[in-house]
Amino acid sequence: MHLVLQDLANGILAGGILAVVALGFSLVWGIMNIINLAHGAFVMLGAYLTYQLFASLHVDPFLSLPVSFVVMFAAGYLLQRYLINWVVRAPILTTFLLTFGLSLLFVNIALIVWTGDQRGVTTAYAGANFTIVGVTIPWVKLYTLLVALVITGVMHLWLTRSKTGRAIRATSMDIGAAQLSGVRVASIYAIVYGLGAGLAGVAGSLISMSYAINPNMGEPFLIKAFVVCVLGGLGSVQGALVGGLVYGIVEAFATQLDFTIGTQHISGSGLQDAIALAVLLIVLIVRPTGIMGKATA
Amino acid sequence: MVAPLKRIGLGGITGSPVAIGVALALMALLLLVPLGHNGYIEIVFRNILMYAAMAYGWNLIGGYTGYVSFGQVAFFGIGAYCSAVLSAHNVDNLFADVALACVVTALFAVLVGLPVLRLKGHYFAIATLGIGLALSDIVANLDVLGASSGLAVHHVDEAHFYVYYYAMWLVALGAMLATYFIARSKLGFAFVAIRENEEAAAVLGIDATRYKIIAWAISAMMAGSAGAVFAPANGFLDPSIAFSADSNIFPIVMGILGGVGTVAGPFIGALILAGANELLQKYFIKIHTLFFGAMIVLVVLLLSRGLVWLFGLKGGARTWLKSLTAYKA
Amino acid sequence: MKLRPTAALGILALSATLAAPSVPVSAAGDTILFGSPVSLTGSLTKEGHLTQEGYELWKNYVNAHGGLKVGGKTYKVDIKYYDDESKNDTSAQLAERLIDQDHVNFLLGPYGSGTSFTVAQIAERKKIPMVEGNGAAEKIFNQGFKYTFGVLSPAKRYLEGILQMAKAQKPAAQTVAITAASDAFSQEVAQGAAAWANANGMKVVYNNKYPDTATDVSSIISALKQTNPDIILNAGHLQDALLVQKGLKEQNVIAKGYGYSVGPDTPDFASSLGKDANDVFGGAQWSDAVKYKGAPGFIRSAPEYAKAIDAAYHHRADYHNAESTAACLAFQYAIERAGSLDPEKVRDALAKLDVTTFYGIIKFDSRGINLYKPMVVNQIQNGRLTTVWPAFTADGKPIYPAPPWGKR
Repeated sequence: MHLVLQDLANGILAGGILAVVALGFSLVWGIMNIINLAHGAFVMLGAYLTYQLFASLHVDPFLSLPVSFVVMFAAGYLLQRYLINWVVRAPILTTFLLTFGLSLLFVNIALIVWTGDQRGVTTAYAGANFTIVGVTIPWVKLYTLLVALVITGVMHLWLTRSKTGRAIRATSMDIGAAQLSGVRVASIYAIVYGLGAGLAGVAGSLISMSYAINPNMGEPFLIKAFVVCVLGGLGSVQGALVGGLVYGIVEAFATQLDFTIGTQHISGSGLQDAIALAVLLIVLIVRPTGIMGKATA
Repeated sequence: MVAPLKRIGLGGITGSPVAIGVALALMALLLLVPLGHNGYIEIVFRNILMYAAMAYGWNLIGGYTGYVSFGQVAFFGIGAYCSAVLSAHNVDNLFADVALACVVTALFAVLVGLPVLRLKGHYFAIATLGIGLALSDIVANLDVLGASSGLAVHHVDEAHFYVYYYAMWLVALGAMLATYFIARSKLGFAFVAIRENEEAAAVLGIDATRYKIIAWAISAMMAGSAGAVFAPANGFLDPSIAFSADSNIFPIVMGILGGVGTVAGPFIGALILAGANELLQKYFIKIHTLFFGAMIVLVVLLLSRGLVWLFGLKGGARTWLKSLTAYKA
Repeated sequence: MKLRPTAALGILALSATLAAPSVPVSAAGDTILFGSPVSLTGSLTKEGHLTQEGYELWKNYVNAHGGLKVGGKTYKVDIKYYDDESKNDTSAQLAERLIDQDHVNFLLGPYGSGTSFTVAQIAERKKIPMVEGNGAAEKIFNQGFKYTFGVLSPAKRYLEGILQMAKAQKPAAQTVAITAASDAFSQEVAQGAAAWANANGMKVVYNNKYPDTATDVSSIISALKQTNPDIILNAGHLQDALLVQKGLKEQNVIAKGYGYSVGPDTPDFASSLGKDANDVFGGAQWSDAVKYKGAPGFIRSAPEYAKAIDAAYHHRADYHNAESTAACLAFQYAIERAGSLDPEKVRDALAKLDVTTFYGIIKFDSRGINLYKPMVVNQIQNGRLTTVWPAFTADGKPIYPAPPWGKR
């Protein structure tokens, strides 16, 4: 029973990080119809940012979150405004490949700047944990989950209440009508892409506390972001959160699958990625709009 | 404001005939490569032919039918493992390899296609991406297929190694010719109709599901055949090689570079991209991936309709310049 | 502007460049040319660079000390590198390029088991000897290859030393939990450790794997914690080693010893984890404390070698450096003893080689792998890597059992 509760806790905590990674990705995909393959690279850059601040200036990683957001937002905004914008309304193939090429660029630039060495951000309080009803919960992961919840809440409020937020939602629903109402689409797109990058940066900063930092670190998270987005529903802020948590829990329990048939070891944890993709395929076929998605997504 | 051009593959259903002529001429030239007795050059061109075959496969389902697939590598990998399994049972015959690969990949395409081809656009793309990744993972866990350590595949000795080159040449030629004849047949018409407007096509009496599956099965066989010849030529197979991201992405970039939805495009794109990659490897040992990424970005921004389109272009450079802003926000 | 003819010409021109061979660096004359595909980019970048450093150090030393004497003539050595991007089939293709285009005399291995395997195929087919120091999977050597030699101990040995040491402590360790990444090398390491444990009266209470790119291993750690092992072993790479060690602390897993196949020996492990890295064991092919006395012709002791690496590359010598240099040394002694650059003669000389170097004994069994050099066990003690096993090479005693978290 202990193990079940512990797995649940592990899953929720892991899901929190995945939710933050998926959030930016989902917004860009849902609103701009772009599958941003460079998202993983943005996560990685956010992680390196936190690492540099920690290693050179001893800034606590949690304090670096706003810095990460602002820097990556600016980078994303400029990238969209002056580069991606040229083909932003092109068919999926074009934007897919463009963001793939950009991803290669960023990863290799990071490789030149920081080399392939694995880095880590280990604070004095890393690993500190507390135990409740037999379940051990690391503080850092708990804070990460709280940050994820806060970000999700703030984003939701901003998208529904603020003027820019409403303009964004209008653009995603009907671009022509939005333009007629005076929305400057190019700006909106740049803001959304910037948001995506900024959120990715924040995710990277959070990840940097548990995970080894290297130029290629973004990719596994990107793949999981796909699954989480589709699972939760594209373009939906709550969807990213719910999708992330559900996925985290599924992965945690799948890990306990551990038996042998003859000489073939069936390991749920070894098959993690296949299970993730099975979940993705099932959701796509049974309910493509995801758990919280809208029918028009 | 220039209206966004939705159609791809301008220049008729097969693309510019001049381009086809050039492609066939180059294919004929490629027959001479093994005569140079340089194993490395042979590999370079053999890879070009392999990627070209896969690009043709992708072109059929993505270019002609409009269902952009990011999972063709799954079929390549299946074809490769077919050869490896046959080899483990001491069957080392290229015809058998390709035949088995075709059967298995076609079956797999039909089985998976039934549910997956019901998805549209982005969702289809993501689903296919997922299939490729999932297969890689599953094979890595299957001891009977060598798991992560992989399988060795028997191959002929150095003196007869050119066999694999010519086999791959035949596969690539087959893919090119198949594309040509399919494009001009009722199948090709159906594919394009589905791409342009699937509902209207249904109204015209075209059974979209049937034709989509046919397109996918044929494209699967092209990729699978390439994989089947690749496995013995490489001598060794493991999930990272069989389902590599390169094998997935390269054919797509080549298809785009050359010209989506044309007959000459995939081959020409393969030549150019591979050539560029070689040059980058030679002159920029440490940062060639960086330049490769930059190249992809430039290709996408400047040549999103492909080179073959340039062949058939009326109005020359000016039309091309205007086309650059077609997709701006 | 007519685009058609221009485009056609462009395509033809590009195809022509593909067929043009690169100007071969002179392999004749008085330079022996080695070729090596190494991972300068991709997931194995760090290790690829360490490999290259090992090769370069050897090359520079030999050239500065009069070169190699082969059959009465003196030769300089040179090494040509290509980046295999950490991809297995790219490595093989580059090996062919090195042989067919650049006309190298011999091959030095890439980094990693997967790449070493594919390059070994090429070496075999082209009949060009290859010596590698960074591909420990035994599978490579079970194929009947005659042209590939590995100077390192096979994968299955990596964690054996830790178990041996743990069993020799008082009270002896009895239970083992093993976690492994799913790549070929890590799986062999894990299987070797499990096999040794089972054959020597220790019980394997947990044995599971995870994908190399796992983003979270907490559930494996939770399950492992339940089995209360004495020793926790991890067979993986630096990235997941960090994840696992952090995870163990986060979930308060207390074991008597923690051992990693890759990790503690890399400076990044200690620098990333700080105090949490203390008292962790690592299996290593070599450490700068081993006390071998090498044959003349090269640096003869481990501490001197470490100094040379530090002077050239400003970091502590890593066993990846040493084993790469050892691969070069195998060629050096084999070529000199063969008295010729003929591939067949050098291959035969390699097969018969039996020489002690700063790295340990270099001798190959009939399959081509070096079974004669023991693995060492290092432990991070107060932030410093100390060799603790086997006793004859140790410069410190093992700290066992490990103190609880927070008190290291």
